[in-house]
Amino acid sequence: MAACSSNSNMRREEQTEEKKKAREKSAKKRSKEEGDEGDEGEEIFSFKDKAAVDEEEDDDLSDSEDSVYSGLEDSGSDSDDEDDDDKDDNEEEEEEEDGSGNEDEEEDLKTETQQTGQTEQKKTTTMKKKKEGKEVTEEEKVNEYEHDSSDEEDIRNTVGNIPMEWYKDFPHIGYNLDGKKIYKPIRNKDELDEFLDKMENPEYWKTIHDKQTGRDIVLSDEQVDLVNRLQRGQFGDVNFNEYEPTVEFFTSDVMIHPVTNRPADKRSFIPSLIEKEKVSKMVHAIKMGWIKPRRVEDDSKGRYYDLWTGEDSSLVAKHKMHLPAPKIPLPSHQESYNPPPEYLFTDEERALWDQQDPSDRKLPFVPRKFSSLRQVPAFPRFIHERFERCLDLYLCPRQRKMRVNVNPEDLIPKLPKPKDLQPFPTTQSLVYRGHTGLIRSISVSPSGQWLASGSDDGSVRIWEVCSSRCMKTVQVGGAVKSISWNPNPAVCLLAVAVESVVLILSPSLGDKQVISATERLLSGQQEAETTEGEGPVSWIETEGEELNQGIHLKIQHAKAVQQVAWHAKGDYLASVMPDHSSHLQVLIHQLSRRRSQNPFRKNKGLVQCVSFHPIRPYFFVATQRCIRIYNLVKQEMTKKLQANSKWISSMDVHSSGDHVICGSYDCRLGWFDLDLSTKPYKMLRHHKKAVRGVAYHRSYPLFASASDDGSVIICHGTVYNDLLQNPLIVPVKVLKGHEITHDLGVLDVTFHPTQPWVFSSGADATVRLFT
Amino acid sequence: MSQLQARFFTENKRYIVDDVPFSIPGGSEVQDLSNVINKLLEAKNASHSKVEFDFLVRGQFLRTALSTHMETEGISTEEVVEIEYVERITAPEPEECMMHDDWISAVHADAEWILTGSYDKTARIWSVEGKPVMTVAGHTEVVKDVTWVKRDGLTSLLLTASLDQTVLLWEWNSERNKVKARHCCRGHTGSVDTVSTDPTGTKFCSGSWDKMLKIWSAVPTDEADEVEEPGDRPRKKQKTQQLGLTRTPLMTLSGHNEAVSSVLWCDSEEVCSASWDHTIRVWDIETGVMKTTLTGSKVFNCISYSPLCRRLASGSTDRHIRLWDPRTKDGSLVLLSLTSHTGWVTAVKWAPLHEHQLVSGSLDNLVKLWDTRSCKAPLYDVAAHEDKVFCVDWTENGLMLSGGADNKLYTYRYSACQTDAGA
Repeated sequence: MAACSSNSNMRREEQTEEKKKAREKSAKKRSKEEGDEGDEGEEIFSFKDKAAVDEEEDDDLSDSEDSVYSGLEDSGSDSDDEDDDDKDDNEEEEEEEDGSGNEDEEEDLKTETQQTGQTEQKKTTTMKKKKEGKEVTEEEKVNEYEHDSSDEEDIRNTVGNIPMEWYKDFPHIGYNLDGKKIYKPIRNKDELDEFLDKMENPEYWKTIHDKQTGRDIVLSDEQVDLVNRLQRGQFGDVNFNEYEPTVEFFTSDVMIHPVTNRPADKRSFIPSLIEKEKVSKMVHAIKMGWIKPRRVEDDSKGRYYDLWTGEDSSLVAKHKMHLPAPKIPLPSHQESYNPPPEYLFTDEERALWDQQDPSDRKLPFVPRKFSSLRQVPAFPRFIHERFERCLDLYLCPRQRKMRVNVNPEDLIPKLPKPKDLQPFPTTQSLVYRGHTGLIRSISVSPSGQWLASGSDDGSVRIWEVCSSRCMKTVQVGGAVKSISWNPNPAVCLLAVAVESVVLILSPSLGDKQVISATERLLSGQQEAETTEGEGPVSWIETEGEELNQGIHLKIQHAKAVQQVAWHAKGDYLASVMPDHSSHLQVLIHQLSRRRSQNPFRKNKGLVQCVSFHPIRPYFFVATQRCIRIYNLVKQEMTKKLQANSKWISSMDVHSSGDHVICGSYDCRLGWFDLDLSTKPYKMLRHHKKAVRGVAYHRSYPLFASASDDGSVIICHGTVYNDLLQNPLIVPVKVLKGHEITHDLGVLDVTFHPTQPWVFSSGADATVRLFT
Repeated sequence: MSQLQARFFTENKRYIVDDVPFSIPGGSEVQDLSNVINKLLEAKNASHSKVEFDFLVRGQFLRTALSTHMETEGISTEEVVEIEYVERITAPEPEECMMHDDWISAVHADAEWILTGSYDKTARIWSVEGKPVMTVAGHTEVVKDVTWVKRDGLTSLLLTASLDQTVLLWEWNSERNKVKARHCCRGHTGSVDTVSTDPTGTKFCSGSWDKMLKIWSAVPTDEADEVEEPGDRPRKKQKTQQLGLTRTPLMTLSGHNEAVSSVLWCDSEEVCSASWDHTIRVWDIETGVMKTTLTGSKVFNCISYSPLCRRLASGSTDRHIRLWDPRTKDGSLVLLSLTSHTGWVTAVKWAPLHEHQLVSGSLDNLVKLWDTRSCKAPLYDVAAHEDKVFCVDWTENGLMLSGGADNKLYTYRYSACQTDAGA
């Protein structure tokens, strides 16, 4: 059946073809097909025969027979033949002329193709008519392995899968298997031809142009059908069933047991001997130097390097310090062309805006409202504003502020620990009780054995320091403002300021010889001082009861005496009568000659307290705000210390005479270094209330301040002989013990002359000893 | 609680137990141990009556649980602990209270009589039963110190030192109850704060506020009236009644920079003095030179010397009692500090018959009984006084005395002394 059909095919072809494709070819084909049907060996034989006759044709034949789509093959074979002819022609033409001959051939070719197109069309139509089943049987007959060929590669043109444009400028489009040129078909189909073809050729729609061979190919119905199927995404083979029932190679059920239960091999646990051998070989090779471990590339010489090393450091620093310009704030509602009504100026605001200086204005423009963006005019101040912005950026230098990070702890000066500064008084040891009024003043005898206290209850008491025993009580008939022990150890005398009288009191304690010397001193001048009447004060000898009590002399002043102070030698005595209006505020009395004199002619302010220099003839006078130092020999003022406080309450002079401390009612204690400055070297504000008394220790580097807050603060104050070294002042101890009565705390403070002990007297009528 | 291996021993023959180690709970305290010993003694001796014991572990009194004590003392608990036990020192029992007219500054007692000095310028003699026997008046100022010199039968010699810069040597006949000022020792230019007689009773030493120590003869000499140096007084109106014959010092020892607060005789050739200049000095009387200086950091108020343990005890203003060895040449070596007082220590006194015990008085109104083997805390606090304590004393027959600013002189019977003495 198949043979018949092919035969019929052939016959039709024969009928249509009339040109170069001779009958021989078809006959050969036929004979071959017949041979196929009959015997393979025959076929081979015949093939060989054919090869001997014409290889080209054989080639074409095989192709055509190989392919399923014989129609295409046929056309291909046609073109091949043509190519051959063309080639020959071309060769001839090259020998002769170009132009006309060429054209003729081209014309011929055109007609040929038309004809072939027609024949192919016919052929496909006939094929359509055939049943599909026949086709399948046809295919089954074809042996695919008969010819050694790829189904992808079209080997009629050997140039391969390249863009054919490369042959655009050549007359050929490639080479056939024999290495001969395949010439381009001479086709000069212009648009008109094309159009006509389109109009007339019913198979135009399935005619495609093969670039590889340069032929037009008319697709058969099967091919069209295949194309359609592929376009629809279906399989090319009509008979292929996509939905065949599945055959399970492996069950889909998960099984509980493993497929194999064989234990793992021993070799999976032990290191591989082969690998070991390999490794040992490599190790050996490395050891012998046959293999060099891969060297790490040395990058130091500069594949990567610091681009900026050579840069000028100042330039880099400048870059580092660069600060971007601050951004202008984004526009807000006021800048809107249609601001909310609250942003629009009222009349007052507008008036204010007009009045203000441009630099004072809150806004540099007036918010305005427009009904649409279209109506917004150009901003008239634009250039001006830009200029100002530039000016701002230019004139205001942007600098990074170097902030110094300082630990606040580091700013505190390094002070020695109080423990290292011992001895200083730390605990209250003795309380001297007996007074009934507040004790304004205390004084310790130069030997340190006795303590004298003067109280508001009108008595002076003398205590034994070591036992707090009151040895003597002298009623003086008035509040004792100040009491002072004569610093001369050869006499035993007390000066007591009671109201407007200064009493010279001999307590008759201690050495009998001292007592008698004192008495001689006090009585011996009776004759010498009789001519004393016109002075500012009157010296009165006492008699009777007062003399028995030990009061030997009374120095009657005009006004209330606030303070008495002895000179270090014990002969001179200064008394203070504070008075705003008078120049008679300070008097200096000489005990041995019973004379008094007023050293100052002018009133320099309200005198608070006075003190003698311990060594040199200087005299310290503290007024409310400052301390004046007078030279008694030259009778002039040498220094004026500014206390930096509102109201000085007390003052003491260091035993060297070069340092002064003064306490003030505004809670401060000032230390003056006379060699350093007239300003306080240090101000201490440790007390919470008014400082009432200050005192230096005579030998230990200690000073104390007493305050109304009921505490005594002990400070260590080392003074160096070296002028370059400032005194070292360390607060070491707050001593508490006195009770605050009537808002008064500690009223006076004084040190023991030899021991690091401090006495304090308070408003609670006690004297306390801290050791 | 862990068990400890302990072996008990004592030096008191009456209470010896077998020398075998016992296993004792580590948490046991003194009372438990005491019960153990009592049980052992009862087992050994049926007639044993219960005695309270105190325990010493390596010379330190046991005051806490045994294990904690050993832990703090760093004693290994692996070995057998040697624990000594002694009869517990019973608390001193107050016996008498003798009221004075004024503050009591000094007390000195012997087996029969008590001598006190007072701020009312007199010295008083009391019997140990607390009966006032005699008031010795003669000083013009406060009596600062008193001491018995010697007793020959019924006549006794006694010394009183006073603020009026004199020391008076009195002769007192106890039978006739007559006192007579034999000598007035002049020479000090300050208050005489302390006086002490040498062991033989032939000399005495006085220390004064004028920083001097003076050695005097304590032998009353009727006939040999010492020549008085009147000094360079032009017109001596010595109207003061001369109490006894004036006596001048044999020797003056100067060296202290501050007031001398306390003197005592270590032996017949050596005087020890404490001063406010923070030193204790030891003087050789033969040559009159200073031998040793012990330097402290605070004012010394009082010292006491025990010939039994040869230690000096000092009381100072920083509230500590310190023990010194007076024979060390390098000085300033504190052997032990006893810290419990809260005020100045004004008086210390070693037990005359016990090498470990001393008594101290302080301005914090307390009298404390110490044992040097328990330095952290005193054995007993005697809180009888209501004011500052100025003086304490301890007699050989177990009587403790203390006087102070509340005008009261308390005596306490201290019974443990005898048994300890026997031990």
